[in-house]
Amino acid sequence: MAPEIAEADSITDPIWAVLGYTTSSFLLTGALIAIEIAAIALLGGTLLGLLIATMRLSLLAPIRAIAWFYVWLFRGTPLVLQLVFLYDALPSVGIRLSSFTTAVIGFTLNEAAFAAEIIRGGILSVDKRQSIAAAALGMSNRLTLRRIILPQAMRAILPALANQTVSLVKGTAIASVIFVNELTFRAHQIVGQNFEFFTVFGAAGLIYLVMTSVVSIVQAGLERRFGADRERRPLLDRFRTARNEGRPATLRPVAKEATGFGLPARSADKSKPFVVCRSVRKSYGRREILRGVDLTVGRGEVVVVMGPSGSGKSTLLRLINHLEELNGGEITVDGAFVGYERIGDRLMPQHDLARARAEARIGMVFQHFALFEHFTALENIVEAPVQVHGMKPAAARSRAEELLRSVGLLGHADHLPSRLSGGQQQRVAIARALAIEPRLMLFDEPTSALDPELVGEVLAAIRKLARGGMTMIVVTHEVSFARHVADRIVFMDEGVIVEEGTPADVLDQPKQERTRRFLSKVEELPADQPADDAINPLSLVKVDR
Amino acid sequence: MHILHGFRGICLVAATLAFQTIDAHAACEPDKVATKYPKLAGRMITVGQDGESPPFSFRDPKNFDTLIGLDADMARSVFACIGVPVEFKTGNWSGLIPATMAGQIDVMWDTLLYTPERAKRLDFISYMNSATGALVAKGNPKNIRSLDDLCGLRANANLGTTQEAILREAERKCQVAGKPEVEVITSTDMPSGLRLLENGRADAVLTNRFLADRRAAGSMSVEVAFSLVTDAIIAAGTAKGNDDLAKAIQDGIGELRQNGSLKTIYERYKVDYMLTVDPAILTR
Repeated sequence: MAPEIAEADSITDPIWAVLGYTTSSFLLTGALIAIEIAAIALLGGTLLGLLIATMRLSLLAPIRAIAWFYVWLFRGTPLVLQLVFLYDALPSVGIRLSSFTTAVIGFTLNEAAFAAEIIRGGILSVDKRQSIAAAALGMSNRLTLRRIILPQAMRAILPALANQTVSLVKGTAIASVIFVNELTFRAHQIVGQNFEFFTVFGAAGLIYLVMTSVVSIVQAGLERRFGADRERRPLLDRFRTARNEGRPATLRPVAKEATGFGLPARSADKSKPFVVCRSVRKSYGRREILRGVDLTVGRGEVVVVMGPSGSGKSTLLRLINHLEELNGGEITVDGAFVGYERIGDRLMPQHDLARARAEARIGMVFQHFALFEHFTALENIVEAPVQVHGMKPAAARSRAEELLRSVGLLGHADHLPSRLSGGQQQRVAIARALAIEPRLMLFDEPTSALDPELVGEVLAAIRKLARGGMTMIVVTHEVSFARHVADRIVFMDEGVIVEEGTPADVLDQPKQERTRRFLSKVEELPADQPADDAINPLSLVKVDR
Repeated sequence: MHILHGFRGICLVAATLAFQTIDAHAACEPDKVATKYPKLAGRMITVGQDGESPPFSFRDPKNFDTLIGLDADMARSVFACIGVPVEFKTGNWSGLIPATMAGQIDVMWDTLLYTPERAKRLDFISYMNSATGALVAKGNPKNIRSLDDLCGLRANANLGTTQEAILREAERKCQVAGKPEVEVITSTDMPSGLRLLENGRADAVLTNRFLADRRAAGSMSVEVAFSLVTDAIIAAGTAKGNDDLAKAIQDGIGELRQNGSLKTIYERYKVDYMLTVDPAILTR
């Protein structure tokens, strides 16, 4: 019912008149219709938008093209025309939609086009190294998107999506062309009756402001939820961690049954080949990165790969765990291909590459750590065992705590990577790689991004692993580390292995000019202090020597 | 725009449809809808209106959920006479014609003017002659007495209406007479046109005469400067080929004229009953 509006002759009367209209059930019914349309369109449009965004990032060109076309069409044509088309043109082909249904469908389709671009922008804003790290842990694309990419993308997505939602709520006014009597239309109707445009539109504006304020509040809440610097663990858990830290370190070997990771019995005979690379070739476009590399790494052997940047060292590591696809040759780990099938003479990538990577259990540590930024140190370690290998969360947690303790970081279990130093982050990354009980560890310049004073703590952790009998391939420029830890040093340049041998041979009596030239430029720092930490991380991983 | 020249068209249509004379003995027989108009039996008729054009279609000040006005009341009475239930759908005036063509609404009944151009897309059932009123600021500061006085001034009409055509014609006449042109400002609804006038952005607003009268009555800010009777015809519109519906509306209006209830509706909204015409179906 409309309130009686007296001729306004004071300041307060118009204000009361505006407030009177804000409680008009006629207007509020229109607001409810606007909310219903906006809410359904937001939900449906965001889900559809997510699908389109992932389609736009697909590797398959036709799928990308469909998604691009969709966005192009719906973003490029006025919504009002889309609505009129749905409402007035579809009946000619026998589809007669009601006004409300038309509005919901029209706004959803339109919202999806905009949400798709917002979500795509969010996904692209997440560092590519995050998904590479996830792939190295055996996580599938879908799992990576859900667990790793989207939660981080939310920081970029939320403000833009909230903008879009506010526009959506207000934009429902357009639906009056297809006979949806929402708020703005109803305000016009009252004005058409009594010409009190100032008060009626003022009231409608206030109602819109209340509706959009709700969007702002929800946005603020969600931004806090997905913010980078929240501490999320329940208080009780922190007490438990603190208590554990007080106890002397007692380690229990992890039984196969308890973890769900079967570990084949292995001999530590370094003469038995574990990783075998034969004539490995790789190019990016026309640029040849690897031009026929043959390398055999024995079981339990520590091989350090050295060489100038661009020589193909990192690429070789990524081919071994199948983060990159081979262009020629073959690689076996423990006698099996990682994610390839031999069909005739050729190696074909398997369909479920993620599963193959997970089953190969190859741990990888990256130059830039690539810890999952939105997870605490502990959550980073727990992620793959629980999500990929189906380990029970409680078991994964206690094991992650042991791994953190073994790298000296149990006290930082609840800290986000952003609160850790580079050295600490890299040690967490090592613990994360160990959590999948790897049979092989790949280190890709693990100390290159670290300040000099932080290098030692990371190398100490790697050295401990080496002593524990882990088969490892380490790409590094740390000459002293190579000298003391490596069983063998491989020197690469321009996509081929130039020279290999024991540290003494390669470092002190290099045969090749290229090796000599490189070594003369690399400074050998004093040997690290041998680590005498009580805990050896390998005792957790259980390797038979 | 051929609206001012529409008279010839109407004569033509009237000639071709002369055989379709109204049954003078038709009576309201809502019970016989199934036999008289078989295609309407059991149907709900949707009437499209814009709801912001007093006195033809507007919200009841006592209950905004109800539409009242000359067109609203006439539609209700006509379909009660025919014997089919009716529901109103309100939307922007500009969306009503496409929706009627698409069958999303059955009848557009909202100060719709018949034109031969529109008759290519809709069928019409005529019921009254149109009249145009010119609203100006109170006291008529620009001393506007006729269309000729609009030369060099700014005048508003709703987009696509007969009044816009009148203004375009006046503009042309000023040009021919070597006077400054009329600056025509079009708007999408009548209230926004009136705000142009109240804010001094327009010197005159041309609209339906009864709309103008109603707005000027008791207003502190506007008055009617002059009015014109045009040969344009106001009609209800239906999608092409709905013969039963068009015939039923024609019969219904005829009966309301006969039994005097139409006159009551016109008096209720202070619209000149003398403007009504014998209802005719115009399909061309």
